[in-house]
Amino acid sequence: MNAMSSRKFIMFGLAPALLIYGLFVFVPVVWSAYYGFFNWSGFGDKQYIGLANYAEIIQDSTFWRSLKNNIIFVLAAVFGQVPIALALAVILHKNTWMQRFLRSAIFLPMVMSTVVIGMVWQYIYHPQIGILNFLLDAIGLSGWKLNWLSDAGIAVYSLIPPLIWSFVGLYLIIFSSALQNIPGEIHDAAELDGAIGWRRLAYISLPIIWTTVQVAIILCISGSLKSFDLVYIMTRGGPAHATELLATYMYNSTFTSYRYGYGSAISTMIVLISLLLIGTSQWLTSRKSRSS
Amino acid sequence: MNQTATAGSHRQASGISILLGRGKHIIFWTILMVYGIFTLYPFFWLIVSAFKSNEDFYSHPFGLPAQWNVANFSQAWETAKLDTAFANSLIVSIGSLVLTLFIGALASFILARFQFRLKGAVFAFFVVGMLIPIHSTLVPLFILMKQISLLNTYWALILPYTAFALPTAIFVLSAYLMSFPREIEEASFIDGTGLWGLFFRIILPMSLPALSTVTILSFLHAWNDFSFALVFISKTSLKTLPLSIANFSDGYQTDYGLTLAAMVLSVLPTIILYLVFQEQVMKGMTAGAVKG
Repeated sequence: MNAMSSRKFIMFGLAPALLIYGLFVFVPVVWSAYYGFFNWSGFGDKQYIGLANYAEIIQDSTFWRSLKNNIIFVLAAVFGQVPIALALAVILHKNTWMQRFLRSAIFLPMVMSTVVIGMVWQYIYHPQIGILNFLLDAIGLSGWKLNWLSDAGIAVYSLIPPLIWSFVGLYLIIFSSALQNIPGEIHDAAELDGAIGWRRLAYISLPIIWTTVQVAIILCISGSLKSFDLVYIMTRGGPAHATELLATYMYNSTFTSYRYGYGSAISTMIVLISLLLIGTSQWLTSRKSRSS
Repeated sequence: MNQTATAGSHRQASGISILLGRGKHIIFWTILMVYGIFTLYPFFWLIVSAFKSNEDFYSHPFGLPAQWNVANFSQAWETAKLDTAFANSLIVSIGSLVLTLFIGALASFILARFQFRLKGAVFAFFVVGMLIPIHSTLVPLFILMKQISLLNTYWALILPYTAFALPTAIFVLSAYLMSFPREIEEASFIDGTGLWGLFFRIILPMSLPALSTVTILSFLHAWNDFSFALVFISKTSLKTLPLSIANFSDGYQTDYGLTLAAMVLSVLPTIILYLVFQEQVMKGMTAGAVKG
């Protein structure tokens, strides 16, 4: 193969991928940083206002509440999804039809549209026709009935079960295959040394799959930052911004309040915050694995 | 494959009986039953309620309908204009899938099998894309789409879907291509096959397993996406399934049977595909997630 033609092939072959990816993933990130310096309603002239949008963000209580809700989601994913998925992976280790059926069922929400998932859970929580309140009535706990999604104090926590329900299957399968990849000899050796049951899980299995757990935690963090659809469908960020996430707040600022500059500044903050969170989690989990 | 299976069953025989042997058995089963019901009930409720009339919906919230209203489905199909929505979803999903597969495979082929300056930089450029939260680009992408007059076209969805699928596609495909032996190229050059011939006749067919992983990830993402469709599409005739269903439920909020029937119809294709290709879907999505 002569060098000229393979050079041409390299350039020609990489061009479409670089172009589409650059234009629709990379350019927007750079542009949102740029638009963040302007006061702009989306129509007409942009007015350069320097760091004013960012200064406003820092003092904006709704922004901080959105960030807090995002962090609640991340924590629920890391301390809810991951342990539940690990427990299920340990319990559902056999290949009987029952266990295979349950694994598939738990994974099923992963292939469904979040719109439908959000709507189903909206019905479950509905104050008048929701099956959750019907259920509480039926078992004599009518006093526990709540306005699950319209009570500002609890709405954000009501979003956690659907969140876990939708994504736990992914982590279950990740952990299941990691556990299955542990060679049988290691377990035999552990057994000879007297490590059985919980002790084997804690001292042998978990340390071996710890890197998988690390990956899962990073996935949880980046995944939780992506929960725009579920929140938008179920609450639109309300009531009174109680369930606002950074992404829904960005959406509402831009397309409901027509503040494109401010919305762009929030986009930039989302990129920075998610990089910061992923970096921190990587640092934390790698430190933990070194010390153990 | 066989090796891991035998190792797994060997481990089960020796270890699990001990792990489950004690009273933990009961605890495990209780957890499993509770989680099983939590997982399965929403699906059961969704499907069963789709057959109910409004009166049934109130009077038998948990159980089976007094009368199975099959007409809900045909009526939902008509009223929600699901035929248009299905067609739109198919066009954007298949369009972005074909683009992703072709330009992703081409770029991966070059990144995996050629040596050139800036190769590391190009690869890193694509990998960084996996860290960018997709929703942070909604506002700047909307502005971009408006400037290049792509709002309310299929391209407004096909191009961003492709762009966001590329990083994972390139990651999965180039990892797979790197494992091929060097002789493949040499043999094909002796045969006089050019670079394009090599790509189409040898590389593409050989990377089918990796291509199917990319297909699953990319198709499901495009098929289920809500946020891009919400922001870039406002014309009813171009709305994809998730967006149509969300709008339909806003309009027909009190006709429960009808809304639920539309929801069931919209998730049926992915659920059927999932039931048929279960193992591949679970493997593909976890591989994509872990590598992404």
